[in-house]
Amino acid sequence: MLKTFSIGGIHPSDKKISKDCKIEVLPVPSKVYISVAQHLGAPATPIVKAGDKVKAGQVIAEPAGFISAYVHSSVSGTVKSVGPRKDLAGNNVMHIEIDVEGDEWAEGIDLSEDIVASIPEDNKAILEKIKLNGVVGLGGATFPAHVKLCPPPGKKADCLILNGAECEPYLTSDNRIMLERSKEIVIGAAIMKQVLGGCPAVIGIEENKPEAIAAMKQAVSELQASEKGYDGISVMPLKKKYPQGGEKQLIDAVMKRQVKSMGLPIDVGAVVQNVATSLAVYEAVQKNMPLVTNVLTVTGDCLPMENQHNYKFRIGMPLSYIAEYAGGIPKEAAKIISGGPMMGKAIANLDATTVKGSSSLLYLTPEQTVRGVESACIRCGKCAEACPMGLEPFLLQKYARNGMMEELEDNAVQDCIECGCCLYSCPANIPLLDIIRIAKGDVIKIIRGRGQR
Amino acid sequence: MDRLIVSPSPHLHTKTSTKSLMRDVVIALLPAVIVSVLFYGWSELLVLGVSVASCVLLEFLITKYLLKGACTIGDWSAVITGVLLALNLPATTPWWVVFIGAVVAIGVAKMTFGGIGQNLFNPAIAGRVFLLISFPTYMTDWTKPAGFIGNALSDGYTGATPLGIAKEGGVAALEGMDYLQTLFFNIGGSAGELSAIALLIGFVYLLARKVIRPYITLSIWATVIVFSGIFWLISPEVYTDPVFNLLTGGLLLGSIFMATDYVTSPMSNWGGVIFGVGIGVITMLIRYFGAYPEGVSFAILIMNSVVPLINKVCHAKKYGR
Repeated sequence: MLKTFSIGGIHPSDKKISKDCKIEVLPVPSKVYISVAQHLGAPATPIVKAGDKVKAGQVIAEPAGFISAYVHSSVSGTVKSVGPRKDLAGNNVMHIEIDVEGDEWAEGIDLSEDIVASIPEDNKAILEKIKLNGVVGLGGATFPAHVKLCPPPGKKADCLILNGAECEPYLTSDNRIMLERSKEIVIGAAIMKQVLGGCPAVIGIEENKPEAIAAMKQAVSELQASEKGYDGISVMPLKKKYPQGGEKQLIDAVMKRQVKSMGLPIDVGAVVQNVATSLAVYEAVQKNMPLVTNVLTVTGDCLPMENQHNYKFRIGMPLSYIAEYAGGIPKEAAKIISGGPMMGKAIANLDATTVKGSSSLLYLTPEQTVRGVESACIRCGKCAEACPMGLEPFLLQKYARNGMMEELEDNAVQDCIECGCCLYSCPANIPLLDIIRIAKGDVIKIIRGRGQR
Repeated sequence: MDRLIVSPSPHLHTKTSTKSLMRDVVIALLPAVIVSVLFYGWSELLVLGVSVASCVLLEFLITKYLLKGACTIGDWSAVITGVLLALNLPATTPWWVVFIGAVVAIGVAKMTFGGIGQNLFNPAIAGRVFLLISFPTYMTDWTKPAGFIGNALSDGYTGATPLGIAKEGGVAALEGMDYLQTLFFNIGGSAGELSAIALLIGFVYLLARKVIRPYITLSIWATVIVFSGIFWLISPEVYTDPVFNLLTGGLLLGSIFMATDYVTSPMSNWGGVIFGVGIGVITMLIRYFGAYPEGVSFAILIMNSVVPLINKVCHAKKYGR
């Protein structure tokens, strides 16, 4: 019996069209715009100005708080401007515009493809490297990685979980790196496990990626045979069920523990990092390479097979440039998603540029994505059955529409993880999550306000 | 790029709709409908036709001319009410009685509460119970009309239902009745009670298509078996046995198709179990100690009224709490 989380969940389409497309390297465009808000927390503070020469891998913005991250240039060239520019949702965010000249990298970065498997002993130095190289979580939330790897005093990690679930339909970038960069990911896991005090590490992968499971298992056993520090790492195949890759769900599936409401994974001894984050940790620690590249999937049902791609991109590349390079936007596309179809963001502005956490350009047709007309709730309970947090969306939306804050809090609206299972399942097309998301924000504000008083 | 759609996640949606769910219920009812038409012939076709047509027409007229809102007959829910009402009546029911039943079901029980999703009581059962109280003669006329295919009950047979026989003459009166035959086509009673097998096929279909969850139905069955089992073990000469109680009367029809109505049953699984146990207990109390031989429809109606309270008490288990 494969493991999975215990409450709710759904089975949306199982499409992974681009899963066999090897990672290709995108050529560098003539200009990049690098956002200073590529992570959760305070936007970084730019430390370059127009006219400055920069090299690839050089710091161009510094963290502006504890929860913040370094941002590096992904190209070499001249800073053209530093100022506001629209991100993919159309919001103004500070960007650093760089005219590309050549491809010269900063000193101290190991650009070779040799795999370095021996792990340095100094944990402090490792954490410093992870921080200085701007590593953030690449599973969606882009939370600064070094913060997660330093449990607060009194808390201890019992298990490092590597998230290779990739439970969103269509996305295949994690699948590709698990196949093509298996060893590096395992080394990253061993590094993080050592920093956390030597707890076991489990790599959770959904069963619909058998090649990735096999590749990761092989990488683990090869490294265990040849190097020290790789004991206690294992691969755990998981049942295919969305949202298996949700942090709380994955902890439940792997450790049979549940994080308390408003709590953190470390409260139950869990640290969860995405496989792509593990790769970034490897690059940062073993190669001194800052996080300036990642892999994204260009896919969609309306895209011909030869135009399906997995690209290694550099941060700051305009999305329109990637779309053009991949063969253009298909005529049938009505919506372009950055991220998966369940939790990703619809792109409002294709001039926006890639960030550390970019994972896809997904083209959806009107038939796939246009919602039906809302009709009366028939009280079928499918939303409650689907909710992986055990909430009752039908009830929450009713309270939310009537502004009943106390009832919303009593019924745990603040626990909503915005996975979209409720809205996906509703046969009456009620915009459950749209309504609940707003109510959740309001209730969390009230709870935080209470804490401060 | 001004033609791009921008909306919040999720960007995909299930293909299951209110309409497809309701259509599945109608499909699940088809075996019972076919069996009833085969064995009760033209009379049953007339009851079914009048019932479905009046339910749909009434909902159309009410939404269009009284409520002046969106017309909801396209969602198939009025069809379900029509079919269920017909299956809850004897095949000999006159057409105008069927029509009155439809008026009560759709007009009173469904639309006055606000239409689909809002009604407190299952419309078909409300219709049936209204008719049972108002027209007891028609509602207990178990004459078997001529069917297209014969069965053990000969045409023109006017016997009572097994539950009626047991109520009148006690367990002794059932002597010699092989009620395993009731699994198939030999129960006297309302049209939909003719064949247990046809109803069970519908149940399996509903479960397989994930239209309903099994908790309500199974807890009704379990309660009826345990309740009647205890009494039967104590004095088998006074009380009817569990298998008899499970297979006769409206228990299967009610537990599979009426108690599982989304709108009028609890939302949570545990709520469903409480609801089912309540229906089972009330049914058996009426059957053993009440004035009526059968109590399923009363039991469901009574438990319908408790659903808001059950929903208040029973919630799903929340993550991390």
